Amino acid sequence: MNPAGIVSLVSAAILAGAAGPALAQGGNHDVRIVLPEQPANLEPCGSIMTNVGQVLNQNITESLTVIDAKTGKAMPKLATSWEQVDPDTWHFKVRQGVKFHDGAELNAKAVAFSIDRMTGGKLTCNNMAKFGNAKLTVKPLDEYTVEIKSDRPQPILPTLLSVVMVVSPNTPVDKAVNDPIGTGPFKLTTFSPQTVVLDPFPGYWGKKPAVTKATYVWRQESSIRAAMVETGEADLTPSIAIQDASNPKTDFAYLNSETTAIRIDLEQPPLNDVRIRKALNLAIDWDGLSQLFGDDIQRASQMVVPGIIGHDDKLEPWKYDAAQAKKLVAAAKADGVKVDTEIKLIGRNGIYPNGAEAMEAMMTMWQGVGLNVKLVMLDVADWTRYLQKPFPAERGANLVQMMHDNNKGDAAFTIPIFYRSSGQYSTLNDPAVDKEIDTAMAATGQAREDDFKKIFRQMRTEIVPDIPMFHMIGYTRVGKRLDWKPDITTNSEIPLANIQFKN
Amino acid sequence: MLHYLGRRASYSVISILGLLTLVFFLTRLTGDPSALYLPLDSTPEARAAFAHLHGLDQPIYIQFWNYLADLLRLDFGESMRQHRSAMAVALEAFPQTLKLAFVAMLLSLSLAIVVGALAAARPRGLFDRIATVVSLAGASAPDFWVAIVAILVFAVGMGVLPTSGTGGWEFWVMPIFVLMLRPFGLLVQVVRGTMLSSLASPYIKTARAKGLPRRAVVFGHALRNSLLPVITVAGDLATGLVNGAVIVESVFGWPGIGKLMIDSIIQRDFAVVQSTILVTATAIFILNILIDLLYAVLDPRVRY
Repeated sequence: MNPAGIVSLVSAAILAGAAGPALAQGGNHDVRIVLPEQPANLEPCGSIMTNVGQVLNQNITESLTVIDAKTGKAMPKLATSWEQVDPDTWHFKVRQGVKFHDGAELNAKAVAFSIDRMTGGKLTCNNMAKFGNAKLTVKPLDEYTVEIKSDRPQPILPTLLSVVMVVSPNTPVDKAVNDPIGTGPFKLTTFSPQTVVLDPFPGYWGKKPAVTKATYVWRQESSIRAAMVETGEADLTPSIAIQDASNPKTDFAYLNSETTAIRIDLEQPPLNDVRIRKALNLAIDWDGLSQLFGDDIQRASQMVVPGIIGHDDKLEPWKYDAAQAKKLVAAAKADGVKVDTEIKLIGRNGIYPNGAEAMEAMMTMWQGVGLNVKLVMLDVADWTRYLQKPFPAERGANLVQMMHDNNKGDAAFTIPIFYRSSGQYSTLNDPAVDKEIDTAMAATGQAREDDFKKIFRQMRTEIVPDIPMFHMIGYTRVGKRLDWKPDITTNSEIPLANIQFKN
Repeated sequence: MLHYLGRRASYSVISILGLLTLVFFLTRLTGDPSALYLPLDSTPEARAAFAHLHGLDQPIYIQFWNYLADLLRLDFGESMRQHRSAMAVALEAFPQTLKLAFVAMLLSLSLAIVVGALAAARPRGLFDRIATVVSLAGASAPDFWVAIVAILVFAVGMGVLPTSGTGGWEFWVMPIFVLMLRPFGLLVQVVRGTMLSSLASPYIKTARAKGLPRRAVVFGHALRNSLLPVITVAGDLATGLVNGAVIVESVFGWPGIGKLMIDSIIQRDFAVVQSTILVTATAIFILNILIDLLYAVLDPRVRY
């Protein structure tokens, strides 16, 4: 036998022996979900990151409260009720009869442990970003009542607590974990480089889910994820590109709580002239631009999506009027504004599908009305330097492509960071605006909502610090045997308990 | 031989250390990774705490000194992303790539030798022309496109193979087919070229004049003397595959080291970048040694 023949036989033997675990042939109610990327880890403190939260939230771990997707209000979960005793202090009643997956009891001490672990500073807790610089002090008042005190007024603390995953008191406090122990309806069975497997937790306090096992895999390519659901290799993928959403029976669009926009640097001439900022908004052919994002896309007039407390349904987005834009630029030029100053449009690679194309189109439209705009596409680390403070000193006039996610139900997660002078993304420095924002943040109920709406209206009509583009639409593909639809929270969590099966 | 191996090993250790030093400084020139690990709305205090936790607030020469000290203790650091040992992450991924690369190269080489030799045996014949077209097409086709089309045809259209992932033999077919295309195409041309030279040699004329069967002349004599350049090219191609076939791993969801390396670079997961480079550099060093030894097996004139 010649060498090539021997080599072929050996290869065939290797192939035959290379069999790994076969594709799971699960029972009827086992589901297989294909995600766009591998969860970096399964640390509950980082559950606001999409790739972590979509596996963890409300499946393995649960929070004290959850946000109602329709109203934006905080609803009971592991807390059954709450009461604000003073502007800085809340009392929460903890649900009784709940056990963690390791048998530990859920009580006030366990809640205090979870919050202290998150705020203690011994590990990096991404979820803390929602609390800003607030300092929390947590104290059990009795076995099932916990007091949470902040160093500043927290009128929406129940909303904020929706990001705090309650973990077993046996969880290490000084290192991140990849084997979280929570109270959720599922417990972690496997976390490997290829898959995450969740099995039902028999001692779950709530309603038993229809799903009997969940296997998560990940594929970077959207077309592959779509193909997997089409062929039956997977039951659900929460994210496919618009060009792959071709089957109306299985592909569903949803408002995904992301708003795209361009941030204008108000400190840099000529952008410090409001006429130029208005011209930037008027110069865009929004109908034409929306072709890049599909028919379901929604035009944005403000930085939060409908349904978020503070969203003003009556606020109209900017309309396309190139002639008016040119007039404004000409008027500014006549007054000595150096309109031919180079304005850097800073885009971010991969920020959203067709993001680079959108920037190229917008740059051309702005050049068409007489502005000297040049596009620079940057990687995320470099782009972040322009997005948040401290801004580079030598940055010059700049516009920054961005996308903002707020699915936490309240404009408090948006307005301060964009419009307050201390806000990380803010180029606005106006004490009067700061005062209005502080008043709105301390308000409650209808007054709070009205104050937030007033601020958005002021931004849209008077100050114009940004160019809101679109409220983004995500696309999911759902296999034929599942009865499930995405909603605004799908970007951050996919509760398996919400998945039902068609007969 | 042992002296030769010792000398090669010491040169390779020096090269690997130099490479790790270069990678250490180059990765840290890419800037602050906290933008990638923390939410965009994190406070400056949170970013400072992150930098302190991972030693990134130290001067670069202190970080390098700590890195060298850790290397001596075989501590390769922790993945900032996965919160576990960076070397464990790299060593989990590498065998996946190695299996794929080994099978793909073995099949490419064995098929290319047969096809190239047969094509050279009758130059400008029908088989030669077909082999040339197929090999050039394989070497030129973009593997990303071939992978997606293969999935659409065989998985979605015909339903005879899975789209992606790992498992039984059926999961290997498309990834190996895509990985084989370029090496097979190049090696067929190399084998054909070297075989044509060999077949024109005087000793081949002698062999034919002695009445040896054609098969013995082509495969027994000419092929063996043509293999050295083929092994050189195959070694170079194998090195590329051992580095990780990023596109194949991305499209087919193969958890290999190529994609891990690219993702770690993008994510600025410094410890994993360094660990993956150490693992692949070591593997390439061993591969080069094996190729050198193979030369000695194929050509008795080569002695170390």
